[in-house]
Amino acid sequence: MHELFFESFNTKVQLTKEEELQIAKYLTPKKLRKKQYLLQEGDPCKYVAFVEKGALRSYSVDEKGNEHIIQFAIEGWTISDLYSFLTDEPATYNIDAIEDSELTLISKTAHEELLLTMPKFETFTRLNITGAYVAMQKRLTSIISSLSEDRYESFNAIYPDIVQRVPQHMIASYMGLTPETLSRVRKKMVGR
Amino acid sequence: MQTKQTIAIIGATGNMGSAIAKGISKGNYRLLLKGNDQAALDALVGDIKTKNAHADVDTAVCPADASWEADIIILDVPFSAEAEIAAKIREVANQKIVISIANPLNESYNGLTTASDSSAAEELQKLLPNSKVIKAFNTSFAADFNSPVIDGKQSDAFIAGNDEEAVQIVSEIVATAGFNPIAAGDLSVSRTLENMQLLLIQLGMKNNYNWLAGWKILHH
Repeated sequence: MHELFFESFNTKVQLTKEEELQIAKYLTPKKLRKKQYLLQEGDPCKYVAFVEKGALRSYSVDEKGNEHIIQFAIEGWTISDLYSFLTDEPATYNIDAIEDSELTLISKTAHEELLLTMPKFETFTRLNITGAYVAMQKRLTSIISSLSEDRYESFNAIYPDIVQRVPQHMIASYMGLTPETLSRVRKKMVGR
Repeated sequence: MQTKQTIAIIGATGNMGSAIAKGISKGNYRLLLKGNDQAALDALVGDIKTKNAHADVDTAVCPADASWEADIIILDVPFSAEAEIAAKIREVANQKIVISIANPLNESYNGLTTASDSSAAEELQKLLPNSKVIKAFNTSFAADFNSPVIDGKQSDAFIAGNDEEAVQIVSEIVATAGFNPIAAGDLSVSRTLENMQLLLIQLGMKNNYNWLAGWKILHH
């Protein structure tokens, strides 16, 4: 049920069997069907979700009703509105399932109790948040400075699984491109 | 809260289970119903959707799968079946709200089968140590859900539990069903709540309340 979560945990910080059992007490197993929400904008984000199976996305909606995808998450990844989770402010993102999914959720209260009682969980959390920060900076730099062709090419190179699994209009939204522009960029790439 | 919560009702074809399902189907919830009688379950889903086309309601294949998908689990099973069902859902109900509605009545309806220093809800909490067991809906009869306002007064419904946030969430579910929710205290208050329903049942049989009766606290 939490196999991949512990696998991922153990690659960052090695746990004993007893420690795994101790952490498992705090985990919430949750199934989400395609198109169901884990979080809607305006609610406080009460969970960090680790994807055991399936795919999710986080996105914001502008005044015109356009969706802007912030992040995708497939097996082994974590997704949340970290800003809301850490500050208790209302979420600015929506999170929903792109495929039927199985998740390991860590609630805010579970997160806080584990931080207090288990130093290894604190290390794990620090590594996760550091990773999220680095990824965010990379994404920001890419949006500001790369050409749309380069942006798609590097995304395609780093995350081929996501490009395969996720509908093209969502990739376009993630890149900040219209679907038409993305289609042009892809044709150009094939032509080369 | 905007994010739709999924509520699994295990034993949804029972009197109380189906009354609760109908009562809360108008709320912002997705209902996953599980009962032993598939035909009755399908009829219940049809009935709910006929009355409210927007109701988000579905049936589940087994208690474990329903509970895995759920955020909140309502158990409408007799007290004597709690251990069996708890074993099935223990893993997937971890950290989740589990609502105990059972009253552990003996066969002749003149006493409870639990020890005086425990309750059906506390026994369930022992079986599901990492779940948030909440006592609710046990002081109402199934018929009350059709008319939570009795004799011009909105019936009270009491909620007991150890997790404050969980009690709040369950209070909202109780209010959706049309009752006036009252947070009564921690889970040990379930002993009083279960005895209150024993009394109401005894009085109902003696005075012919016809299974339409409830509690109301009068105050200024």
